[in-house]
Amino acid sequence: MAEELRTEDMTMNMGPQHPSTHGVCRLVLTLDGEVIKDCQPVIGFLHRSIEKMCENRTYAQCIPLMDRFEYCTSMSCNWAFCLAAEKLSDIKVPERGEYLRVIMGELNRIASHLIFVGVTPMDCGALTPFLYTFRERERIMDLFEMTCGQRLTYNYIRIGGVAKDIPPEFIPKCREFLDIFEEKIRDYEKLLVDNPIWIARNKGVGIITPQLVYDYCISGPSARASGVNFDIRKNDPYSIYDRFDFDIPLGTGGDCYDRFNVRVNEMRQSARIVAQALDHLPDGEIRVKVPLKFKPNPGEVYSRRENSRGEMGVYLVSDGSTKPFRIRARGGSFSHLQAVPHIVKGLKIADLVAIFASMDIIMPEIDR
Amino acid sequence: MTKAELTAHITTTFSGQVTVIENTQPEPYFIVKPEDLVAFARFIHDDSALQLTFLMNLAGADTGERYEVVYNVCSYQLKHRIFFKIQLPHDNPEFDTVIQVWPGANWFEREVWELFGMTVRNHPNLTRFLLEDDWNEGFPLRKGWTGTDFIPLPDRG
Repeated sequence: MAEELRTEDMTMNMGPQHPSTHGVCRLVLTLDGEVIKDCQPVIGFLHRSIEKMCENRTYAQCIPLMDRFEYCTSMSCNWAFCLAAEKLSDIKVPERGEYLRVIMGELNRIASHLIFVGVTPMDCGALTPFLYTFRERERIMDLFEMTCGQRLTYNYIRIGGVAKDIPPEFIPKCREFLDIFEEKIRDYEKLLVDNPIWIARNKGVGIITPQLVYDYCISGPSARASGVNFDIRKNDPYSIYDRFDFDIPLGTGGDCYDRFNVRVNEMRQSARIVAQALDHLPDGEIRVKVPLKFKPNPGEVYSRRENSRGEMGVYLVSDGSTKPFRIRARGGSFSHLQAVPHIVKGLKIADLVAIFASMDIIMPEIDR
Repeated sequence: MTKAELTAHITTTFSGQVTVIENTQPEPYFIVKPEDLVAFARFIHDDSALQLTFLMNLAGADTGERYEVVYNVCSYQLKHRIFFKIQLPHDNPEFDTVIQVWPGANWFEREVWELFGMTVRNHPNLTRFLLEDDWNEGFPLRKGWTGTDFIPLPDRG
């Protein structure tokens, strides 16, 4: 018998069309057996040049493009863009408009987290939660559809307010959803949180240390799962978030298990915010009149929103004409995917799938 | 710290030269000389009163007369934010990487290189990643760029 067997590193492509990469992302893995020695993400498959297209369109025409920036939380992207334009031209949104924005934004956050809660276990081999969460997501989609006629790309939040008022049946339907939702969240937790297979796959896997959070600009629930208390809704309140009473769920371990639990608890807090907003929803205007040929004041602005995946920021330069001079939209995943190679080194391929899913990385906001 | 305190602290403590841009936004905004960029980044990242550890955004821009690179930074610990930018000439735009300060700047700088054609000195991996691998139609985000299927829409203003 030869004492030393010859070994060799293997290079393997994961993707671009891998079901667990949530979009089209190719990961070039260098493997020693099943252990990952190196991981290089290859992106750009979904590049649609949104920023260049925005420079060629009026502000109102940019809003539908921002929907496509990150289609799981289109409301947030509309909102971040409108915030930037409003900041530049000192537009004050009417009270009812602000409340409707908060209601829609938080419902959209719940819808996005429901996709996460359904899809993450599916990547780890548990198909059932997916069917449960999409049942509840359907109710939110119905609420959006009755308000703005769309289920995925809403074009609802406009500069100066929102596009349409809610129909009369919205509030009872929404309350009905909130009433059952807490029980449904407990169902998801029953399926997963104490499940020994789930714990074995996720606990202690893919630890993100606070130092890695600082180094790679990780934001949103993925940062909070590592114990970094950073939420733009509290730290840099925009809109009317300072009026609501809600908590920031924090994790301690920074592993996949914590990232999942933080998001599940965030859904509870978002439901709390929506309930408070419905209670205090004032009457009145939903939008201030903004001319069709909207021209903000010349200047530069950076607006930021807490999106379901981290910080959603829009850097906007205006030269005083009807078209934006420069737009740079920043999504959380762009930074998060950079950190993945540092998290997965030394782990197995199956862990990479769990980590990728637990960070809720979505490709359209990386490729833009 | 408030905007005025941040401005005063940075202009008095930083050894290089910074220019303050007056604006009505809540964040102070500075222009830093390109040769001071890394020293400035290191200073605001490490200074205990600033701790600007979170690089929120890094964007290139073409103003028509010159190129700019804009940095929006924030503090995880102290929650305040500042913006700063460097200005580069149109011919031979080059600036230093800040990866050693914020490792997350890597892809942001790659994007500035790819879409604006500004060279990033000391960057470990300046390769295409958003555009096609065999892209040869120049730098799309430069003003005045025209590609084969790019049609400028009329200004309706």
